[in-house]
Amino acid sequence: MSTNVISLVSIGAHPTSGRPRRADQDARAVELGLQLAGDNLQVLHAGDVAEPALRAYLGMGLEQLHVLEQPPGADALPALTAYLRDAGAQVVLTGSQAETGEGSGMLPFLLAEGLGWPLVIGLAQVESINDGSALVLQALPRGQRRRLKVKLPFLATVDNAAPKPRQSAYGPARRGELAADDVEVVEDELLAVATLQPAKPRPKRLKVIKAKSGADRMKAATAKASGGGGQVLKGVTAQAGAEAILKLLIEEGVVR
Amino acid sequence: MLNTLLPILLFAALALAALGALRRVNMWRRGRPAKVDLLGGLFAMPKRYMVDLHHVVARDKYIANTHVATAGGAVASIVLAILVHGFGLHNRILGYALLLMSAVMFVGAIFMYLRRRNPPARLSKGPWMRLPKSLLAFSASFFLVTLPVAGILPANFGGWVLAVILGIGVLWGVSELLFGMTWGGPMKHAFAGALHLAWHRRPERFGGGRSTGLKPLDLNNPDAPLGVEKPKDFTWNQLLGFDACVQCGKCEAACPAFAAGQPLNPKKLIQDMVVGLAGGTDAKFAGSPYPGKPIGEHGGNPHQPIVNGLVDAETLWSCTTCRACVEECPMMIEHVDAIVDMRRHLTLEKGATPNKGAEVLENLIATDNPGGFAPGGRMNWAADLNLNLLSEKKSTDVLFWVGDGAFDMRNQRTLRAFVKVLKAAKIDFAVLGLEERDSGDVARRLGDEATFQLLAKRNIQTLAKYSFNRIVTCDPHSFHVLKNEYGAFDGNYLVQHHSTYMAEIIQAGALNLGQHKGNSVTYHDPCYLGRYNGEYEAPREVLRALGIEVKEMQRSGFRSRCCGGGGGAPITDIPGKQRIPDMRMEDIRETGAELVAVGCPQCTAMLEGVVEPRPLIKDIAELVADALLEDAAPNKPATPAKREPAEVH
Repeated sequence: MSTNVISLVSIGAHPTSGRPRRADQDARAVELGLQLAGDNLQVLHAGDVAEPALRAYLGMGLEQLHVLEQPPGADALPALTAYLRDAGAQVVLTGSQAETGEGSGMLPFLLAEGLGWPLVIGLAQVESINDGSALVLQALPRGQRRRLKVKLPFLATVDNAAPKPRQSAYGPARRGELAADDVEVVEDELLAVATLQPAKPRPKRLKVIKAKSGADRMKAATAKASGGGGQVLKGVTAQAGAEAILKLLIEEGVVR
Repeated sequence: MLNTLLPILLFAALALAALGALRRVNMWRRGRPAKVDLLGGLFAMPKRYMVDLHHVVARDKYIANTHVATAGGAVASIVLAILVHGFGLHNRILGYALLLMSAVMFVGAIFMYLRRRNPPARLSKGPWMRLPKSLLAFSASFFLVTLPVAGILPANFGGWVLAVILGIGVLWGVSELLFGMTWGGPMKHAFAGALHLAWHRRPERFGGGRSTGLKPLDLNNPDAPLGVEKPKDFTWNQLLGFDACVQCGKCEAACPAFAAGQPLNPKKLIQDMVVGLAGGTDAKFAGSPYPGKPIGEHGGNPHQPIVNGLVDAETLWSCTTCRACVEECPMMIEHVDAIVDMRRHLTLEKGATPNKGAEVLENLIATDNPGGFAPGGRMNWAADLNLNLLSEKKSTDVLFWVGDGAFDMRNQRTLRAFVKVLKAAKIDFAVLGLEERDSGDVARRLGDEATFQLLAKRNIQTLAKYSFNRIVTCDPHSFHVLKNEYGAFDGNYLVQHHSTYMAEIIQAGALNLGQHKGNSVTYHDPCYLGRYNGEYEAPREVLRALGIEVKEMQRSGFRSRCCGGGGGAPITDIPGKQRIPDMRMEDIRETGAELVAVGCPQCTAMLEGVVEPRPLIKDIAELVADALLEDAAPNKPATPAKREPAEVH
């Protein structure tokens, strides 16, 4: 079984010092890719080939890392879409959100849309790949897992539920090759007109602890998220289903 | 009959020995090249043997005297025997000389035999139990066959029966002493040991010198190996050094990891390297195994990776690099160098630093400190102290190297105490502040030479911008690295540990000191201050100045037992039967002292990690700061009403 796996990586930033490093989630994407494809894993980055932090990915034991050369401020999406379409990738892995740059977390979605591939978010494990489809585990909150069957090719994002990345070693990092590909540079117009400002931490919801005993607290911490007011629609027509969804969206104020 | 037999036996044994020597030399030559003064080393060897090596052996008077008699007698006997019985120079004076020498050797061998009747656990058994008997056979046989030469007995005394017995005795003796010497018998230690002393990788250690800094890897040459993967990746004189081991087990007895039941035994490690250089398995090893690892399951050869064939990785990661083994080794073998060499391969090539190792190394790269703290917080401990920054002052007398203890709340107390002392002594001092980086100690000892060199070069670059007379630090690890390991990268400074510096300023009368009040005190020698840098006296001098009479531990000074905190051991955290700091605390408790003075943030952390009740742990700087007397005592404010802190449940 030789699956064509590509992991997408970006330049990360250390949470306390802000210095460039391998991005944690992207490193997990590489780790998962290495477990899946071993030496056949391809790793892809769109950006500056001279960035030393890229070597940290090579240090995980890669022989080569492809770089679609782009200046800062360029849109990575068209270049990646074109490359992935031509590369014949079957599984594309990436972190959920970049640690630097825009960091919107939109890239996987836009990529999947552009390629017309299914997207699995929060991939925790690939169980098997057979007959053009993969059996994967998706991470849900509180340690839950959902088994999904996905048709190849597909795109998946990994987060902290994926296996920890292996140590990056100096020897392979020094030996590995950064192969630069020339690609057409597309200016990211949205980024050019927007102003960047430091993100404010999202205010935390006040947590009222109602539990009286340790057992209660344990239950509160481990219980499944329960929406309560949910409604399961089964065996309804597409028309009826769409109406029900629209009704909910209007109720929730998403659609006005 | 013996007159024809003896020369044949002697020269046959010598020829075989020469053949074996060639074979052995070729084994060593499988190692990588090393810069060694071949001829100079050979000339220096007798003095190194008789002075430097004897100094170490003489710590155990019994064995020192025994060895002088046995080895001296044996060397002289062999030379004389070759002359007298080999070349047939039946000269009466030579005969008497040979009688004397073989008698001396016989006496020595008897004491050797007595020591072996009830051997301590650290000694290897197996062929080593045979050695005293072989020595007795050799000396007794040559004594007897020489009696006619000296004219004491008639030539044909005893007839053919005695001749046969003596012939067998001589055969046994020369087999062990000549043939066995180069073909891997216990006497190999004499042959390899002598050459090891001649071509030692740290010749600076001889003549009372000290050489403890790790040797740098050449990272500029992409073809140079990153550490040691296979036995042949050691330099040839390292291989020779392993071969010199006499299996006396002094290292084993001193090793804190072995005592704690972690899977390391320095003696076994060196023997495994010998197995590696010659090829085979460890089944013939006749000493204590690595705790928890049975003998006979490991093997290898010069061209096979060491880890997971010959030695398990956790054996290498158990070492605290405390250097107790190197200090005790009468052959002056460099265990720590070998361990770090093998760790380098694991970290730099395999990315296999265990447990928290990878995280710590990543933090060091990204934040310049092992804890991953925001680098901007490096000076938070001194927010209210108004310390001079070297970036503003440009030049100072004392550069206070703070170390990564700056991020540790316990160590901040020590740092603040030392600042108090410096201020009281009106010293002109400054700190690097946010420009300071980790010294690279942990990275280097975890095998990450690349990160070490990165940190070292950046620190050296920073230090080059300023002028100062000396660097003073409260951390013996930074002290050692700055003093002994930055030199290879052109960073040469006068570096002092704060205990040395305080001893100096106390001597100069710069401090108005009272007396230490209360409890009895013992002192724990940090490895990186003591064994690595030979500073045993200054801390004790400071304590004496405070009116403290140190209640010495059994294991103190150069025999001090490690706290377990060195070499990244708390990071790699290899499990054992007990914890090293608990054992050290037992040593401390034995003295009955209520307080233990320390001079190292690692030791403080490790010893304070021992569950209470236990003696208090205080840094020397804290003790000095507590004993400082205010010059002009200001009017004492009225003592405020005693407030009891509210109890917290």
